[in-house]
Amino acid sequence: MLIVQDLCIACGQCKPYCPMGAIAIDEVAQIDLDECVECGSCLRMADCPVDAIYQQELVWPRTVRSILSDPLTITEESGISGRGTEEMKTNDVTGRFKRGEVGVGIEMGRPVLGARFRDVEKAAMAMACLGVKFEKANPTTSLMSDPAAGKFKEDILDEKVLSAILEFSIDLSRLENLFDTLNKVAASIDTVFSVSLASRLEPDGSVPADAIMERIGIWHGSNGKINAGLARPMTKEE
Amino acid sequence: MGKAQSLKHDIVLLLMPSKGVNHKGSGAKLRRFLEICRDLGAIKIGDARLGNEYYQGGQEKMLDNVEDLAVVQAVFTDPKKVAQAIEAVKEADFGLSLVISGLFQEVRRCCAEAGVSPHTINESLGRWGRTDKLPSEEILSLNTMCGHGMVAVGLIKDVVERIKAKEMTPEQGGEELFKPCMCGIFNPDRAAELLRVLAGTDN
Repeated sequence: MLIVQDLCIACGQCKPYCPMGAIAIDEVAQIDLDECVECGSCLRMADCPVDAIYQQELVWPRTVRSILSDPLTITEESGISGRGTEEMKTNDVTGRFKRGEVGVGIEMGRPVLGARFRDVEKAAMAMACLGVKFEKANPTTSLMSDPAAGKFKEDILDEKVLSAILEFSIDLSRLENLFDTLNKVAASIDTVFSVSLASRLEPDGSVPADAIMERIGIWHGSNGKINAGLARPMTKEE
Repeated sequence: MGKAQSLKHDIVLLLMPSKGVNHKGSGAKLRRFLEICRDLGAIKIGDARLGNEYYQGGQEKMLDNVEDLAVVQAVFTDPKKVAQAIEAVKEADFGLSLVISGLFQEVRRCCAEAGVSPHTINESLGRWGRTDKLPSEEILSLNTMCGHGMVAVGLIKDVVERIKAKEMTPEQGGEELFKPCMCGIFNPDRAAELLRVLAGTDN
């Protein structure tokens, strides 16, 4: 995003809307393009009195910022907006996550800080060492040059995004390995990440992963999402 | 994220198709879902594909624009109405995925009341890494109400200052913070309560 300096009257209306805090006001407002993740929020929300804000044409590799940061961008892989992945939300028809395993979502950069692909790659490579297969219908996966190794295309490593989700499933028996690896990743990066776990419920409604997490001392929240199992055609289960 | 008492009155119903499975013709069903939820007492309805009602120029315009492959949601503050809404969605038999977000105890109870057996659960394992760089828990409670990170920390702080200066009420502040949340999942009623605490106001 850019601000036409000759038009700007430094009213400051745009500054609060930037999730990355990339707008500074001196004599005029200026956007730090290295921090700007092309989310579009300032253009949509600021109601600039002189129409000084505009979206410049984005070219690769900067396009990845908009793809993963602007919630109104529709991604090619999934055809949906938002972060561009269905995750557990459609598990009743996709069967993406089955009993005996958990779906893992690692949202790099959330909340607040955003993430550069150098850090996203550190996490992805660590997960790849566990032998996981990243979800194909996920725009973050599509940016990998070598999904088996968790390596991303070289020219995007310095690009910053609001968040990038690494998505895969892992057998329940490997949860402890997963958490050990997540702890190592957490100590090696310069941002934050949020972790979520998707579980197909047992017939009695229980969540097998909970007992494992409680045993090894991993905190999990008392709120989250539940798929109600109303969609059709329901996935066939073994 | 947030305290249990605050979260008890923030429950979201989301309906979406799965691309290539059941997305064709889903637009009309998604629109009908939003109408049902609105009529049953949702405080906000939203469309993550094209933007919230503020961005699209009103609720009716937003409803008119709902298309196949949209991801739509409705925000409730009353768990009783949530149970009614889940039952209504079940009876409507849209064949699309319904996801309910909230305190698990409340959501499970609402599902049981509606005669629905939960299929899959998504649990948060919190924040990892450089959490020392994050703002306060109170600010994060407001920021993370928008799942796409659109409610900027700077905007939250700006609104808090304006409430302290009596330039706006906490309720107006909640509506102000709702505007940049494009999918419309942000709960302005819950936000008003959190802003009241942050601004240290009894009004």
